[in-house]
Amino acid sequence: MAGDRLKYEIIKHALIYLSEEMGVSLKKSAYSPNIRERADHSCAVLDARCRTIGQAEHIPVHIGSLPIGVSNTMKFLKENGEELAEGDMILVNDPYIAGTHLNDVTLIRPVFHRGELSALLANKAHHVDVGGISPASISYSSSELQHEGFIIPPVKIMEKDKIRSDVVRILASNSRTPYNTLGDLRAQVAANLLGEMRLKEIFQKYTFETFMDAVDYILETNYRLVVSEYSRMPRGVWRGRDYLELEDDLLKLEAEVRLDGERFSADFTGTSMQVDKPLNAVYGVTCAAVLFAVRTLLSEDILLNDGFTRTVHVVAPEGTIVNPVKPAPVSGGNLETSQRIVDVVYMALAEAMPEKIPAASHGSMNNLMMGGVHPATGRKWAFYETIGGGYGARYGLDGVDGVQSNMTNTMNTPIEVIEHYYPVKFESYTFREGSGGHGRWRGGMGLERAFTALARIQVQILGDRERIPPWGLAGGEPGKPSEYLVRRADGRVERLKSKDGTILNPGDTIIIRTAGGGGYGRPE
Amino acid sequence: MIRVGIDIGGTFTDLVAVDDEAGKIFTVKVRSTPRFPEIGFREALERLLKNSNYAGGRIGVIIHVGTIGTNLFLGQLGLEKPKVCLITTKGFKDVIEIGRQNRPRLYDVYFTRPSPLVPRQHRLEVNERTAADGSVLTEVREEELQETLSRLREINPDSLVICFLNSYANPHNEEIVKNFMVSRLNIPVFTSYEVDPEHREYERFSTTVVNAVLAPVVSRYINSARKGLETLSIDAPLYIMSSAGGIVDSEEVVARPIVSVESGPAAGVVGASQLSSILGLDRVISLDMGGTTAKAGAVINGKPLVASEMVVGGEVHMGRVIGGTGYPVRVPTIDLAEVSAGGGTIAWVDAAGVLRVGPMSAGADPGPACYGRGGDKPTVTDANLLLGRLGALLGGEMEVYPDMAMQAVKQLADSAGLEVEDACWTILNLANLKMAKAVNLVTLERGLDPRDFTLMAFGGAGPMHAAELAEYLGIDTVVIPPHPGLFSALGLLTTDMRYDFVRGYVSVLDDLTAEKIEEMFRELEDAAVEKLASRGLDPSRGRYTRSMDMRYFGQGYELEITVGRPFNLRDALKNFTDRHRAVYGYTHEGSKVEVTALRLSANYPVEKLNLEDLDDSEDSRRDAARTAYFKDGWVETEIMDKKSVKSEMKGPLIIEEKDTTVVVPPGWHVRKVNASSLLLRRSA
Repeated sequence: MAGDRLKYEIIKHALIYLSEEMGVSLKKSAYSPNIRERADHSCAVLDARCRTIGQAEHIPVHIGSLPIGVSNTMKFLKENGEELAEGDMILVNDPYIAGTHLNDVTLIRPVFHRGELSALLANKAHHVDVGGISPASISYSSSELQHEGFIIPPVKIMEKDKIRSDVVRILASNSRTPYNTLGDLRAQVAANLLGEMRLKEIFQKYTFETFMDAVDYILETNYRLVVSEYSRMPRGVWRGRDYLELEDDLLKLEAEVRLDGERFSADFTGTSMQVDKPLNAVYGVTCAAVLFAVRTLLSEDILLNDGFTRTVHVVAPEGTIVNPVKPAPVSGGNLETSQRIVDVVYMALAEAMPEKIPAASHGSMNNLMMGGVHPATGRKWAFYETIGGGYGARYGLDGVDGVQSNMTNTMNTPIEVIEHYYPVKFESYTFREGSGGHGRWRGGMGLERAFTALARIQVQILGDRERIPPWGLAGGEPGKPSEYLVRRADGRVERLKSKDGTILNPGDTIIIRTAGGGGYGRPE
Repeated sequence: MIRVGIDIGGTFTDLVAVDDEAGKIFTVKVRSTPRFPEIGFREALERLLKNSNYAGGRIGVIIHVGTIGTNLFLGQLGLEKPKVCLITTKGFKDVIEIGRQNRPRLYDVYFTRPSPLVPRQHRLEVNERTAADGSVLTEVREEELQETLSRLREINPDSLVICFLNSYANPHNEEIVKNFMVSRLNIPVFTSYEVDPEHREYERFSTTVVNAVLAPVVSRYINSARKGLETLSIDAPLYIMSSAGGIVDSEEVVARPIVSVESGPAAGVVGASQLSSILGLDRVISLDMGGTTAKAGAVINGKPLVASEMVVGGEVHMGRVIGGTGYPVRVPTIDLAEVSAGGGTIAWVDAAGVLRVGPMSAGADPGPACYGRGGDKPTVTDANLLLGRLGALLGGEMEVYPDMAMQAVKQLADSAGLEVEDACWTILNLANLKMAKAVNLVTLERGLDPRDFTLMAFGGAGPMHAAELAEYLGIDTVVIPPHPGLFSALGLLTTDMRYDFVRGYVSVLDDLTAEKIEEMFRELEDAAVEKLASRGLDPSRGRYTRSMDMRYFGQGYELEITVGRPFNLRDALKNFTDRHRAVYGYTHEGSKVEVTALRLSANYPVEKLNLEDLDDSEDSRRDAARTAYFKDGWVETEIMDKKSVKSEMKGPLIIEEKDTTVVVPPGWHVRKVNASSLLLRRSA
């Protein structure tokens, strides 16, 4: 018995390790800056029933949505009479199946043992451009999914262990950066194959039967740990309400959070209906955001597997911005809406456990999409980045200045890298003084990042918290809202909305000031 | 000549002195003095002179580690860091604090950033700008420098750094400011171009700042260490192990303290490198398992694998530094993975009733329960003792108390619902699992298969775990070096001098750039020759190795590829493609390849210790036999000393040495090989 448990523990670690190893391989050999410099990807291993059994800690929004995406994909294949065979690999980016937005391309490798489907390896990575109406694909001007890029339902990118170059060509032909697309796909395929090799080594070393027993053990022990932590939390029902900016309107998010000692539920009834702007978060994203918030309440030892995810229940009425119906555009759902979902869940929980919940953080990924034609090469280029801001103050501790918060944790792209490849010159990258909300503990400062165009550049902003600032807690003041400005070559300053687009001509400077975090406690 | 190696660990300072003529070796162990390591350093030497009756003048050379630099970044020691000022490009004074804007822990709402090494009010901006292609867009104005100077005089820093955007492409502006300040301020001044001329501003700035923080402290330390030598009438040169595994003179360490910031852990791997050459092993994993942690490194063809970037002062989780918890430093550093799996690592039971090991450690004080010094937590050492693998400590000089170990483990076993022996066995295996992770980090993640390696295990606890860890990794051969408990100190005496040079250059590779690259390599070689000559060394005896950081155009991570002299584009491309295939499993045929940095290492041979000449077969206390626990349960196991290992012998077998215990499980054989080492082999 002890011998078996020891083996299960070893298998548990081996599964986490293999997903981490997949992630390292993917990150280091991929081409899109989003993956290589900013780690906008994630990897997991699931059992044949689509339960996550091992996952590496990457981007929160992927971590929660990847299992849902895999499970939806398997269902889709079944419903459409597609048989999976040994040597296949599936590619999908349809967010209504795969669970985030079109830029996130998911690759799934079924693993067979003695002819039976026995496990799945999956990875998801953010491709810099998947077509659509503007460079980098994410665009505030899209009003339906088709505007946001090519939509690929589950297809076989690999058969009999051979890459289907016809499928790859379709993807490359639809991207503005086919070279990156090809490089990223190769890296994603290689990562899944690496995971499969490691998984088969586990089967071989411990027998498949032991592996299957280990899966039950791993999920069960994790489940027990989670429930034991819930049992020490207060029980009750709490509510939160927060807003997203939509031009001159506001979109409302409502959450009712319930803790009963055994499970965690969040009900979003009352949230705004879906819109024809890319602010709809598919159900997978909503689940991911709730899972993230819950995970931050639990101790470090909790694993991100099915033993944890099965304890979290999410009710999101169909047709709302937290569970839209096709073909509503979704590219900003996992960028902006997901951040606000965390905020409302936190707001509700702040009442239940005030000492564990931070004041609101800057609350936006401040997405910047840009592109144009490079004057030196005559080639088209596209670039995408997200900018951090102030993290909310905590009970007993100030917030953190200029950092990515909650649903994302991507790294910035070095200025020297951007200036080497793209026609821009940076003017500043600095903390935004005085932007952190006052309080007994101060909210973190936002960032200022500004650059001047050296050629004609098309720019799109997808930000938020420009009108509704990040809230404080327990009497703490809100952080300073964000600002998106353009200083034209002639000195004129234009104010952009939090979701906007413009053309920069040579000499024009774009200045992005991200929001500060909310303060905690009355200022002394 | 008498050569002395002094290794300073967290708890003990180990000294090894080798007298070539007399064929004698002396060892000294004193308590470390982490805040003022020079005290332990001097005490160890004083003890050596007393024990050996040598006059100070007979000592020919002292090779040492750069602990003071490492300690400066250990928060718990509370050492005060020097006051550093930063002059940077206008608009970018926060780059050094923003870092890469990611947070270190995804799910911790109470996370913090490491506090900046240069506080905001000590970061001064000037109007200047260089473009990515190296052209100067804005020249520095002298009036502005005058203002900056008066501000600096008010602050009165201990050292100064100058870090400008894109300076890796052209150091012109940085040099102007440096020249201006050097002649007016009497403090060390460093430019980012001198310290780390590579692209990516945050990493370059951070490296330069860390160097400036270390400079005053390291210089003070070297001075006091030298004074200590004087009081003992020792007139030997003092060398320091670099993080890259070579030795450098103390003058170099004062000028570029960054080169030795991780020198302590490097020593063991360096020793493993020489031993692997003597034994003719081309692939070796060095595993140093001590009291609180285990460190793994890979050695290929007698050379340790070196990474070009590391993090100082960071928090480690499962062998890897958590991104964003420390200060990145780009300097060649032996690639090591460290995990909390040492003899003193504590076992516990979590809320789900699952037995776990680490990361807490009982350290040396109170230490494992069986030490009888008040420790009541079960540790890895206690499990080894209860399973009959460990008989005595320090050859019987130190008493152990099995009943105390039993009491501690029993309590643990009860709450996990296990029998005591199952609990002990689980503890050993969980510790091995952690070490396997460390080994995987330095092999699998570098595209290497651990099964092609020999495991070389040392440190007090390494030889006890080595064979079973090897089995888990699929490795068939294990080597236990001489003096396993002091092997790191010995390692200090086994390496050549090494100086590293780098130059950042981002460009797609073609025939045109090939010429430029050859030209830049020659400049690096000139710099190397000049450096050796300035140290009174004969440059023609140096061995110069060129390498380049390369990637496919569009990728964000580079592979370091050794290239020939003169530079040959086709060979370089082929080496890169081969390595990319080995590491990532595929290549992009026909894609453009980009270079990002050129590197040159200059190795200069010195007279060193040959491990082959060592004989460490001392007698110690012997039992005849006892029962010990292995995979299949309890087995009657013969106990012997190293001297008694004559022909090839069959496990189970336990070999007790003065500073370690070697466990040879059933199914393994052991024999003595060159250099007083033991070779363990798994039967086919």
